[in-house]
Amino acid sequence: MPRLFDAIREYLGTLKRSLAESLFALLIGLLIGAGLMLAFGYDPIMGYISMLKGFGIFTIEGFLAVLAIIALGLLLAAFIGAYWAKIPQALARLWRKKISGRSISLVAIVVFILFLISRMLEFLDNVELMEMLAYSVPLMLTAITFAVGMRAGIFNIGAEGQVYMGAVAAAWIGGHFALPTGLHLLAATAFAMLIGAAWALLPAILKIRAGVHEVISTIMLNWVAFFHVPYLIINRFAGVHAERTATILPTARYPILGASLTAVIFVALAACVVVYILLWRTRAGYELRLVGDNPDAARYAGINIRRAILISFIIGGMAAGLAGASQVIGRPLLGWTLPATLGTVFGLGFSGIGIAVIGRNHPIGGIFAALLFAGMLNGAKFMEYDWGISSELVVAIQGVIIIALAIPALLAMSRRGVRRLKIRRGPR
Amino acid sequence: MKNPLKKLLSSKRKGKKPAVARKPRRGETLVRAEGIAKGFPGVWEHLILDHINFDVKAGEVHALLGENGAGKTVLANILSGFYSLTKGRIYVKGKPVSIKSPKDALELGIGMVHQEFTLARPLTVTENVALGLSTSNFSFPLSEVEKKLKELSERYGLKVDPKARIEELSAGEQQRVEILKVLYHEPEVLILDEPTSVLTEDEAKSLFSILRAMAKEGRGVVFITHKFEEVFESSDRVTVLRLGKLVGTMKTSKTNRRELVRMMMGGEISLPKKKPAKVGKIALEVKDLHVLGERGVPAVRGISLTVRKGEILGIAGIAGNGQSELVEAITGLREVTKGKVLIFGKDMTNRSPREIADMGMGHIPEERRRIGTAEGMTVAENFIMKDYRRSPFSNRSFLNLPFITQHSKKMISEHNILVPDLWVTETRILSGGNIQRLILARETWWEPRLIVATHPTYGLDLKAVKHTHELFLKLKKKGTATLLVSEDLEEIFSLSDRIAVIFEGKIVGTMDAAKARVHKIGLMMAGSKG
Ligand SMILES: Nc1ncnc2c1ncn2[C@@H]1O[C@H](COP(=O)(O)OP(=O)(O)OP(=O)(O)O)[C@@H](O)[C@H]1O
Ligand SMILES: [Mg+2]
Repeated sequence: MPRLFDAIREYLGTLKRSLAESLFALLIGLLIGAGLMLAFGYDPIMGYISMLKGFGIFTIEGFLAVLAIIALGLLLAAFIGAYWAKIPQALARLWRKKISGRSISLVAIVVFILFLISRMLEFLDNVELMEMLAYSVPLMLTAITFAVGMRAGIFNIGAEGQVYMGAVAAAWIGGHFALPTGLHLLAATAFAMLIGAAWALLPAILKIRAGVHEVISTIMLNWVAFFHVPYLIINRFAGVHAERTATILPTARYPILGASLTAVIFVALAACVVVYILLWRTRAGYELRLVGDNPDAARYAGINIRRAILISFIIGGMAAGLAGASQVIGRPLLGWTLPATLGTVFGLGFSGIGIAVIGRNHPIGGIFAALLFAGMLNGAKFMEYDWGISSELVVAIQGVIIIALAIPALLAMSRRGVRRLKIRRGPR
Repeated sequence: MKNPLKKLLSSKRKGKKPAVARKPRRGETLVRAEGIAKGFPGVWEHLILDHINFDVKAGEVHALLGENGAGKTVLANILSGFYSLTKGRIYVKGKPVSIKSPKDALELGIGMVHQEFTLARPLTVTENVALGLSTSNFSFPLSEVEKKLKELSERYGLKVDPKARIEELSAGEQQRVEILKVLYHEPEVLILDEPTSVLTEDEAKSLFSILRAMAKEGRGVVFITHKFEEVFESSDRVTVLRLGKLVGTMKTSKTNRRELVRMMMGGEISLPKKKPAKVGKIALEVKDLHVLGERGVPAVRGISLTVRKGEILGIAGIAGNGQSELVEAITGLREVTKGKVLIFGKDMTNRSPREIADMGMGHIPEERRRIGTAEGMTVAENFIMKDYRRSPFSNRSFLNLPFITQHSKKMISEHNILVPDLWVTETRILSGGNIQRLILARETWWEPRLIVATHPTYGLDLKAVKHTHELFLKLKKKGTATLLVSEDLEEIFSLSDRIAVIFEGKIVGTMDAAKARVHKIGLMMAGSKG
């Protein structure tokens, strides 16, 4: 057990700085937001209480429960961090009925913490909680797109267009093909990711072959998708209504868990973990990060820089494609369809940039940033219902909070300085 | 003050801090640091500077001596405003001051030349100097800056082309720019962090006379070094640090090498003697090589050389004569326009760095922070830069973290590297010498058949130099071929079996080290035919 305490201390120690910074930034953001509300004649305290409803917090107990959950979550993370390699072994041993005190206690601690967290959840409003989770799904995915790009030294802001492409791809497979249950879902998801990646391939190739800067090419492709996808919806994939795609067949829908939350959240969370493992535990991820940190050193180490860039675009495209799919086959919006206005997917890609920055370009950090963002999004309606705060003002308040939260990370990035990634001519 | 620009440049300092503009009396204490403590909590458990007293007087050259990681750079950074201090006070001319930023320090007349380069690589020399000026005049006449630069470089004999872009300059030339950049501000206290590491002996000598001249003008000079000769050659007083603690400050004339060595690292250290080589087959052969430099002008103009197994070939030359480009061409980092590079008999001209490294070549690059390491990544990740693809560093595309940890720990203890945490600390926080050790460890642990090394002991303390020389000689005995590029003639002489001199992209002479004379090589480096 002393080892556990050491681990917790160590983990909190590494977190301390960024955690304190983030909390301070959050406070400043909240204060400025409060100023905005005051300026327009609303009560900021009541406004923020309404915003908390978006997180499922309706009571004082709920608020305390959320604090407790955060604390337990940190504990769990520290614990898993300390025993990263041992937990699967312990599980395997239990499975093989080779019960040792050690493996039991390992698993028991994890289970106990999870149990505590589940008890805490009871103090929250289930519907709103699920709604928040539903909002967070596409955001954590588009955050990956930007984060993986940044890790490779690429400013990939093409998630927006890749989301549209993924969404329409999922709508096409989901609405126009009759496939067996399970397989249909899989096919629609996979195809959306494929198309998202394909859309990301264009700027990747332009960058690798011709040195076209990714900011330019991705912005242009965002617009191409913005006009092309509605065309596809109206002229190719429309169902009964001319301005939206055919309804997704039941075989291609993710099962609903509650409110508008579906099982697609598990896919999204898994994607975050997979990307984390890919970046920090595999050769390809190592190469990618080395290229992002210092392209000159990467060249010196014999790394194929072009390949690393390509991989970062592909991962990003797949994540964005999945984000698009999650809004069509993973959320019962407008009765399982994609409208030609793109209203249900619009802006997800751009929000992902801010979320990635707040999550320090880390796929796991992105999950938490996405939850925060999702709660605020979801709380917006309460601010409007309860106090009549106009939705534009709510968006402005959210924007202020997000910017404030992003500032420490942005400062860290600028301190570090972004090394310009040059594709050099020369021997291969 | 007829020139409006000059007025603009000087008005700020003069107007704001009249006290500082007063000319210091000789012997007056310019800067005094009292009880300075600095820690990096969360990174290091001990204090990096443990209550240090330090002062600089007008008219003196003060040497600061200490092993790698002793805290010299941190101390200098605190005096010049780059780091904040945890505890202690700083006085400038007797007045307590708080130095919050490098700009504050410059306004108080304290300027620093860093151990590592801080120049913007795509910009020219003049532009780099202009960047550091604290005026924000958009229509800044660069020609004015250039004029003053020319004047300064003439006055102090620091030869630099003000119009050259930094990325075209060699390490030695960049060093000169760094010094000029600070001199431009005419500081009263000039701190130089290991300025001679990349200078030739002659350049170092002329630097010392510059420092002396500056001291005569009534400035105070702080000069960080590892080399005892330099302490005696240049300084009036010397302060020794050891792992963050002050060992002592004394008059240089009242001490001797023995005492300093003892204070610095506890005992005398003698460099190993080389043994004659038992040479084998040709390991590296370069035939009539032509390579273009950064600006597209020929940098290597027809070089041919061979290095045999079990032999160390030293390439002596003043920085900027094509040795960087030669090394880059051999290691696959720069395109060969004409000629051939053969490694173990195989034509490796214009092959990728990876293919060339896979032939069994270790490469210790010239610029350790810019190319040799990824500073934002952890120390463990930097240890595996060349090996991560091999088993057991990774298995089936997954990194083998336990093995990497074990391997890195071994490297750290073998090479005595000061690292707080393998997997948490970013490599950037390591001291210069410790980064160099990391690279040496990474490039030599697997006993490569061929090593290409550019000033491998750059910034190392005597103990580590000894360790490195022993390592190179041990590898040589085992049959490794080494191409050693250095401006440090002493190093070339103490390691090489043969010496080639490079001048303006050509080899102007090759000779047996036993028969070579320092004096003659020095002349050849300066361009006289051998
Ligand atoms: N920003 C930082 N954060 C944490 N530790 C640091 C930081 N900067 C320096 N250190 C640590 O402080 C110690 C002293 O470093 P410093 O750079 O002063 O050494 P030095 O005496 O200049 O050595 P060298 O001769 O190798 O340049 C080193 O162990 C280094 O890792
Ligand atoms: Mg140093």
